[in-house]
Amino acid sequence: MSAKRLSANRAMWTQNVRQIGWIAIIHLLLWLAAIVLPIGLSYSQYDPKVGNVPQWKNVYYISNGFETLIAWLVPILAAAGVLRYMHEKRSADFIHSLPIRRTELLVGQVLFGWMLLIVPLAVTALAAIGCLYGLDLPWPIGAADVGRWFGETLVMETVIFAFSIVIGVLVGQSVLHIVLTNIFLVFPAGIMVLMFSNLSLLLYGFPDMYYLSSELEQWVMPIRYAMLTDQAMSAGEIGMLLLLSLLFFGLSIWLYERRPTEAAGQALAFSVLRPLFVYGVAFCSWLVGGFYFGNVESKWSWTVFGYISFSLIGYAIAQMVIAKTWRVFHRWKGYIAFAGAMGVICLLVHLDPLGYEQRVPALADIKQVYFGQSTMNFEHPEMIGRSFQEVDQFLRSQDNIKAVRAFHEQLVHDQPSPPRFANIRTVVIGYVLKDGTRLLRRYVVPIEPYMPYFQRIMGSKEYKQQYYLLLRPGGYSPIRQVTIRNVETGRAEVVLAEPKEIESFVQALKQDLWNEPVEDIIGGGRAWQGNIELLQSDGDSFSLPLDEYNLHVRQWLEERHMWEKIEK
Amino acid sequence: MIQLVDVTKTFDRFAAVKGANMMVPKGAIYGLLGPNGAGKTTLLKMMAGILRQDRGTITVDGEDVWENVRVKQRLLFLPDFVYFFPHATIRQMADFYEQLYPSFSRGRFTELRSAFSLDVDQKIQQFSKGMQRQAAFWLAFSVQPDVLIMDEPLDGLDAFVRRHVKQLLIEEVAEREMTVVISSHNLRELEDLCDIVGLMAQGTVRMERDLNELRAGMHKIQVAFRGGFPSELAERLDIVHREERGSIVLLVVRGEKRSIEETVSSFAPLILDVLPLSLEEIFVYEMGDVVDVRETVVG
Repeated sequence: MSAKRLSANRAMWTQNVRQIGWIAIIHLLLWLAAIVLPIGLSYSQYDPKVGNVPQWKNVYYISNGFETLIAWLVPILAAAGVLRYMHEKRSADFIHSLPIRRTELLVGQVLFGWMLLIVPLAVTALAAIGCLYGLDLPWPIGAADVGRWFGETLVMETVIFAFSIVIGVLVGQSVLHIVLTNIFLVFPAGIMVLMFSNLSLLLYGFPDMYYLSSELEQWVMPIRYAMLTDQAMSAGEIGMLLLLSLLFFGLSIWLYERRPTEAAGQALAFSVLRPLFVYGVAFCSWLVGGFYFGNVESKWSWTVFGYISFSLIGYAIAQMVIAKTWRVFHRWKGYIAFAGAMGVICLLVHLDPLGYEQRVPALADIKQVYFGQSTMNFEHPEMIGRSFQEVDQFLRSQDNIKAVRAFHEQLVHDQPSPPRFANIRTVVIGYVLKDGTRLLRRYVVPIEPYMPYFQRIMGSKEYKQQYYLLLRPGGYSPIRQVTIRNVETGRAEVVLAEPKEIESFVQALKQDLWNEPVEDIIGGGRAWQGNIELLQSDGDSFSLPLDEYNLHVRQWLEERHMWEKIEK
Repeated sequence: MIQLVDVTKTFDRFAAVKGANMMVPKGAIYGLLGPNGAGKTTLLKMMAGILRQDRGTITVDGEDVWENVRVKQRLLFLPDFVYFFPHATIRQMADFYEQLYPSFSRGRFTELRSAFSLDVDQKIQQFSKGMQRQAAFWLAFSVQPDVLIMDEPLDGLDAFVRRHVKQLLIEEVAEREMTVVISSHNLRELEDLCDIVGLMAQGTVRMERDLNELRAGMHKIQVAFRGGFPSELAERLDIVHREERGSIVLLVVRGEKRSIEETVSSFAPLILDVLPLSLEEIFVYEMGDVVDVRETVVG
């Protein structure tokens, strides 16, 4: 670059400093407030007698939510600042009349914007390190933590900034620039949530939660940032995000070379994007309408109302944004076509030509079944069996496979859609077939009519044995002590420490658990008469309720005249 | 030299400029006339490299303007609504221009300080509209561009400043052979300034005329003959307009002044006066074929 060209860039930079240099100051102040100030405050509040050193595992613990907000919003603000010149008509004309090539101009602006991010971050990092080493306190974090924070935060701010630059080149208004960047930041996860939850409306039994739980939020940058507290970035992730930033940057230059100057003040800079925008907004609001009404009111008429009303509003708003006027009501033909097409698509999905809803595997093909309430544990069997009462289970006995399959067939046949606040229970049914194929469905089922089905499965020996920790073979370490506490006062009324006594008590307790009716397991709304606390040899303890069904336990206690202590 | 060949620009579905052709010789002051909405601003912005034409070529001394730093360093555009950075002072804007335009002259800037009595350290946005425009002129003249493109630049200036600016412009053209394109919707504004006038309507340049040629090529005469106007004379003169006031006939005639005088004299007129013809009048007669626009620019 020749001296003259440098001079052109210097002119723009001088101007940028005057116009948007304040963003760097705000950025710096925010980070100082989020990180350096708490360090200083902890120092001033430190009392060596108490030893109140802050419990920070890393820099993200200092003020996580606030840090996320800064790393998310400031880069967007910086992008809006450096691209403001192309979003206002007169300045767009002026700047583009100057003897600077577009690429050079954009590169200069982007670099300046990046400086608004990196300089305050570096200053904050240095200040934080200075405080940590200058203020004498046994700090739980050090320079390495600050270094990690600096690197990861810089990567995150850079990728959000670069992404926002692309959006900024695509639109013609600063407000829309900021709004759309935020929308598109949550878009990857948002659209999945909407699509899957709408599929579960159209396809009976579709386990939307199953797909939603699969690490979608990682792709929403601000959420990923918030997760840095416990999940550091790998080198691969850093590399990918930097590569992504470079791609965004390259894309924005490519787009800017083709961007008409007269786009300033328009909603979208490229006219080919307009239909995409209008129908995209209409599509998303269609899904939002279904999502909202489908979940609040599980009636079909309401869902359809949600679809139509929301998408119509979305369509009208998108048209208003494009046309920059309220008067868009003559453009209804596009909406009719859209609603018609969406209606056909939804109907097609609902008619289920692939037989998704009716699919129940043949008995001979099934290796094992999954029965429970969570879709997540189907994919993560290692998570099963950690709680005292395990609802989610894989079942292998023929009886249970038959029972679960029969329940599934009945549900597919009845397709119950209970009202929202009725006595209902989520039922998740999964299959692992002999050929390795997996199949998962999720239903919301009214409890009473299907009680026999619940009883057949959950009352089985296999299910109960896996349900209670106490019944699992090898599920617990030897019991060292049994304490029965009063529910209200928490006072220990009965304490058993003699091994023989404990052994016989636990036998009685197991008897009760084996006999416990399924209604009680499902219902759960029983009156506790006490709390049975079992201390294991490994130091862990777990507790069970003492209630009206504990006939054997009661008998056991009565025989030893301990029941009176609990009764009073 | 600025040349536009078959330039077209469409906004969405609205064609603002449709196949415009234009030629501005070096050192000329070219007046682009046309009613509002004729496409003047769009055309000028394309000429300045702000907007990109959909079709056709725009060149300055044979080089494309679009994205051409070499050309744009020699070219300055003054929009109808002048723009300055928010909160900028004239001094800051001068610094900015100095870094961007190699031809910017500090000396000229200081020299012109007396011509425009404006405070260089006051924020330009606090100036009145007319003062802002003066500031823009001051900066533009300090840049000393080879090509100066101005969109309705004299709007909002009082008569004194207007004359002053015109004077500076003419000097600049005379001294440095600066090429100027200046648009207006009013012919009178350009009367004593332009060498060439282009008339724009509905997105095209309908006609282009050299004003000196026009002046030399059209005359108004007042004649009277004993026994009425000889019909043979009417055939020998290229009469654009004829008006009879009693025995006196008023003619607007195309042609050289001397040959017209000779021709008329040979019919022994009782009276022969050659009267001056204003630019306005020339236009009224010259633009016979573009009647639809005539009223608006001559108004």
